[in-house]
Amino acid sequence: MGCPRVLAGGLALLAILAVDPAAAQQVQITRLNDIALGFASVDQDATGSRNVCVSATGVTGRYSVLATGSGDGNAFTLAGAGAPLAYDVQWSGTANQGTGTALTAGRATSGFVTALLGLNLSCVLGNDTASLTVVVRAADLSKATAGAYTGLLTLLIAAE
Amino acid sequence: MKRNIITFDKFLPVHTLAVVVALAMGATPATAATNGTLGATSTGSVQISILVPSRVQITGLSDISFANVEPNAAASSSQNNCVWSNTATKGYTITASGSGAGGAFTLASASLTPVPYSVLWNQSSGQTSGTSLTAATASTGFISTATAPGCATSPSSTSSLTVTIAQPQLQAMPSLTTYTGTLTLLVNPQ
Repeated sequence: MGCPRVLAGGLALLAILAVDPAAAQQVQITRLNDIALGFASVDQDATGSRNVCVSATGVTGRYSVLATGSGDGNAFTLAGAGAPLAYDVQWSGTANQGTGTALTAGRATSGFVTALLGLNLSCVLGNDTASLTVVVRAADLSKATAGAYTGLLTLLIAAE
Repeated sequence: MKRNIITFDKFLPVHTLAVVVALAMGATPATAATNGTLGATSTGSVQISILVPSRVQITGLSDISFANVEPNAAASSSQNNCVWSNTATKGYTITASGSGAGGAFTLASASLTPVPYSVLWNQSSGQTSGTSLTAATASTGFISTATAPGCATSPSSTSSLTVTIAQPQLQAMPSLTTYTGTLTLLVNPQ
């Protein structure tokens, strides 16, 4: 809703703007880095976390995350020496976290909030707002054939 | 009447430096992360990589005790155990060492002459024969059928160990005398 203006002669003009709040919101995810888990111990979970930056132009800063892996059907799996190696994906709306909300491949998880509103200048300066964590479980590592495994994790951020 | 005791050490997983180096050289990923652009939605991606090193584990070993052995025939004892290997071929080698001089397969009893014994390995369980192992020397390659460390899932055992004391050795041993020794089994992935 616009602010009323008082014109000369005492005529008041009230402008009412119909705006879809969601349509005006924009988001951006930056500062992504690869996650190299290195040499795994086959009897322990292998975990890697990275800070990322999500900026939003909306007032609320709310956004959702939809993660897809490079496995069959967008599964969270790594390909390599043996059978596909499964991993878990977690997202936290706060930087410097080692755990977070578990994401399901191909399904958006909503309700995250970034405190970084407006342009992503702050992201450029290194002020991260979220954490991405991947975990390869020991139960899967103990069954895996020795060798290298890689995969691509795609993250789609949507304004809410 | 003779009494001979052999005890065994169990080994933790062993990995070879050569395999580790090979994995490291072949698995260094190029940077692939991409940032998203500003929009109603924004999409970025990261590459995830991990290296699973070659590992083996031997479990299920039990001490061997020959009690009141009659010297009119060779004394032999076989047992099942589990060897797990995560290499592509599930292969492994075994280096067996006794507690005798230079790793010899011998049993000792104070100042008496050490008594030699032989060691056989079979890559299948439930066997009483197998490949003769040479002390302190890596064996030829064996293949494991284990699907999980420690044979936590079927099969429950994968291989057989047999220790034999030949009849002439038994007949040379004084009666009512205890001999002991330790047999060490080093498993390497292959």
